Amino acid sequence: MITAEQKPIAEIRGMITPYKRVLVLGCASCVAECAAGGREETAMLASTLRMKAKMNGEDVVIEEHTLDRQCVNDFVVLLDDIIEPYDAILSLGCGAGVQAVQAMYQEIPVIPALNTEFIGETKAQGLWVENCLGCGDCMLYYFGGVCPLARCAKQLFNGPCGGSVDGRCEINPEIDCAWQIVIDRLTKFGALDRLEMIYPPKNWSKKQGGGPRKIVREDQQK
Amino acid sequence: MSDKDHCTLALFYCQNVPESGEAERQALEKTYGLQIRLFPIPCSGRLEPVHLLKALEEFADAVYVISCPEGACRYFEGNYRAKKRVERTREIIAGIGLERERVGIVIGSKDNPIPLSDLVRDIMAKTSGLGPSPVLKPASG
Repeated sequence: MITAEQKPIAEIRGMITPYKRVLVLGCASCVAECAAGGREETAMLASTLRMKAKMNGEDVVIEEHTLDRQCVNDFVVLLDDIIEPYDAILSLGCGAGVQAVQAMYQEIPVIPALNTEFIGETKAQGLWVENCLGCGDCMLYYFGGVCPLARCAKQLFNGPCGGSVDGRCEINPEIDCAWQIVIDRLTKFGALDRLEMIYPPKNWSKKQGGGPRKIVREDQQK
Repeated sequence: MSDKDHCTLALFYCQNVPESGEAERQALEKTYGLQIRLFPIPCSGRLEPVHLLKALEEFADAVYVISCPEGACRYFEGNYRAKKRVERTREIIAGIGLERERVGIVIGSKDNPIPLSDLVRDIMAKTSGLGPSPVLKPASG
């Protein structure tokens, strides 16, 4: 899932100040899971913005709505029925969602209420951790399901740095040493021989350097 | 916009609070009239910050929650969650310049159970000094 956090309220207010009818638009997918932009967070933000507007005597209409997903046009187009009265959309989608909604409704500014952060997992209730960089060339098989790019602070491909203490990273002691986990995992699988291979430097061109990536599946298209 | 001459407390309370049945609730509403809106809930853990924010937005000058003592929640964690959510709500309203003290929580006592009426009296006394909420009575001009 994609994770995000809400921007400071002052920053959000600064961006919506010019507008008189604002639709606060939530997303019930990834950002709902990380408690940043789901239905509830959308209602909270809309209520907070309305309260501040009332306190300041501002003449502004702030209403809310939540889509199942903001990054899929089949859901975004459902806004056709409700969007007409608004002069701005404050989106609680991730960066993908903000841009998808903006592309669909090009006459109305779509303003991001969140800072999109990382691809990760819900490790525990209220805890989300990064574990994937979307490199486009997944090598999790070789490392026992642990990504050295996302989870090793030094992004080492060919073994540990040797600096870890009690299984914790020497760069950031708050995180586990990814390579300790790699070795423990491959030992359990009886596959430590995978570490005898030399892994060349990452081919970053599969992730970046060529502009936005895309995937085309003609079998999925109309 | 409200032009009332009284402050309104929104009070969400766990139905486990001593002497908090329907008869007691009606008696409190008769005593305090428009100064209080009472919301019995099955567990304080049912509350989310959005409930407290909506109350502040629409009618309440202050919002309080009464939860069960630590270790006594019939759903085990509801009271812990309520405490965290009240604090989160306080942070949110502080972010827009509204006094944190307009939202609060009272945690019951296992050793000295206090009936709802006494808790209401104490909360009303605590919040009376806050005055009307600037949300409901915005700055003129």
